[in-house]
Amino acid sequence: MLQYTFRRTLAVLPTIICLIVICFFLMRLAPGGPFTSERPLPPAIMANVLERYGLDQPLHVQLWTYLKNIFFHFDFGPSFSQRDRDVNDIIAAGFPVTLTYGFWSAVFVLALGIPLGIIAALRQNSLWDYIMTGFAIFSQIFPNFVLAPLMVLTFTLAWGLLPGGGWNGGQWEYVIMPAVALGTSYLANVARITRSSLLEVLGAPYIRTARAKGLAERTILWRHALKPTLLPVISYMSPVFVYMITGSVFIDVFFSTGGIGQSFIDAAYTRDYSVILGLAILYSVLTFVLNLGVDLAYAAIDPKVRSGLK
Amino acid sequence: MTLLSVRDLTVKFKTRESSVTALDGISFDIARGERVGVVGESGAGKSITGFALMNLLSRPGYIDGGQILFEGQDVTKMTPKQVRAMRGNRMAMIFQDPMVTLNPVLTIGQQMIETLRAHRKLSKEEARQIALVKLKEVYIPSPEARLDQYPHELSGGMRQRIVIAIALLLDPQLIIADEPTTALDVTIQADIMDLLLEMCRSNMVGLMLITHDLGVVSQVTERTMVMYAGRIIESGRTRSIINDPQHPYTQGLINALPQQTPPGSRLKQIPGTMPTLSAMPQGCPFHPRCALATDECRAVMPPLTQYGEVQVACHEVQRLHRELAKMEAAQ
Ligand SMILES: Nc1ncnc2c1ncn2[C@@H]1O[C@H](COP(=O)(O)OP(=O)(O)OP(=O)(O)O)[C@@H](O)[C@H]1O
Ligand SMILES: [Mg+2]
Repeated sequence: MLQYTFRRTLAVLPTIICLIVICFFLMRLAPGGPFTSERPLPPAIMANVLERYGLDQPLHVQLWTYLKNIFFHFDFGPSFSQRDRDVNDIIAAGFPVTLTYGFWSAVFVLALGIPLGIIAALRQNSLWDYIMTGFAIFSQIFPNFVLAPLMVLTFTLAWGLLPGGGWNGGQWEYVIMPAVALGTSYLANVARITRSSLLEVLGAPYIRTARAKGLAERTILWRHALKPTLLPVISYMSPVFVYMITGSVFIDVFFSTGGIGQSFIDAAYTRDYSVILGLAILYSVLTFVLNLGVDLAYAAIDPKVRSGLK
Repeated sequence: MTLLSVRDLTVKFKTRESSVTALDGISFDIARGERVGVVGESGAGKSITGFALMNLLSRPGYIDGGQILFEGQDVTKMTPKQVRAMRGNRMAMIFQDPMVTLNPVLTIGQQMIETLRAHRKLSKEEARQIALVKLKEVYIPSPEARLDQYPHELSGGMRQRIVIAIALLLDPQLIIADEPTTALDVTIQADIMDLLLEMCRSNMVGLMLITHDLGVVSQVTERTMVMYAGRIIESGRTRSIINDPQHPYTQGLINALPQQTPPGSRLKQIPGTMPTLSAMPQGCPFHPRCALATDECRAVMPPLTQYGEVQVACHEVQRLHRELAKMEAAQ
């Protein structure tokens, strides 16, 4: 397992380097730059600025310096638009925020979605089942950009229970709404997938065998059915984990959490090359780490996958 | 001594509007240590019979009437707890495809030990020792290592040996084997069948062997029941059923055997197909395919009737016997 992790990590390095190179050139191809503005700077000052950020160098030299700094100093360079801050500072400030509510959102999704799906499957066509189906439909009609304002209207403006935004060091009152708004639609999907997966597993021949051996229904559910049931849930969650942490731009902006999504938007507006690049790299590394985690979870459950890793 | 006594067992499947009858009041007995074959075309109700005995029918199937007396207790009236205590313990079942009947995420050892511990107060270690003994009995090489392996690491034949070992774990009185070799490689089918036969013989276990293969039936079983469209239409000693079939359907099955066909000529299949449950014909369910069918066959269902040692459900056979009796009386 450890060896597998190591091999995967080595294999992904070239991918990440390619990604950096491509992003690097794409960014320079786009018209405009961080120092383009309505009123052009006097040429002397412009030259000065460009020199300060190394932008006067030929492209390949810029790229080389950039790569060198990342891999040898873990330094993503200075921000072009925010003076005195470098990309590392921006990530260090925003990323923990996004990671925190993203994590709780995932916990919310799994801790609620899986049990809901199990109950709905076991009580097929019962009230529970219908409530869950209704909830699934509800969450499809209310994606997070509709749900978030509704939640603020209800919990903040009407009932005054929760703060409508901000972060305040990540106190739970501030985490709760971003996490729930971000997770709800996934929660419904997880419940739905768990339900149909469990129903399918319960119809499998090996469950019939388990019954024929005289095992109790409870044992059959927890020992025989649960693990295989979770496999499709894990597959589904793999890209969702990434999205929860990277695609939460709306949540960051709406709830003013100060998360990384806000920095991304700001950087895009100001063409802050180095920040955009830094975030793109962060996201791709995250994607890799989370996918690896999901694959390892898969291997932990499915012995066939596990023996395939060796 | 009777081990199992089934009387008028009826099984139905709920459909959207009403229900269809999959088993139409079948009755049969199995004695202790007796090996009985159940044959018939696909869809005849063989598996459903096996499931019903284990009380394993799942929705939309249900037992609509009749008795299943097993060791003196009616399975249809057992509480869920009693059913669990019986399954895998007094009565065990072996299913068709060992690729899918063992749980892929549990080791062989886990799947054996849990079975033992569901029925007996044993420590894990004690259960493991019993599992080892059983694996040896079914000729599994290096059984110690197998216990920690997962099903996918073993061959099909090995897996079915393990399934047999699991069925034998608690020394049951009856094993229901539903096409235990059909899914296996042809080269090992005979080995597995021999093993099953040996195990039943040496442990005095009753066997209900469900199969398409009349050859296997004649090797393994003492008695045979022929099923058609949810009924038993002929039953008796296996030897007499194979050598002297009475019912036109059984005759058709035997004539269709490759051994009965001269090399080079075509197999003599019974023309037509078995009726579906929702479209059962009036009278004898076999009459649309029967060359001897009369108006009586088209109108009235023939009852299963005893003639000496065999039971047959056929008007034509009945008529023959009546005439025989008349001739004997006249002499
Ligand atoms: N869930 C179900 N709903 C409705 N009908 C069913 C269901 N399961 C089985 N049946 C019907 O019950 C009848 C008997 O099925 P069964 O599986 O016992 O046949 P079989 O004799 O074992 O055939 P095979 O040789 O193919 O295994 C078939 O006509 C089948 O269509
Ligand atoms: Mg069958």
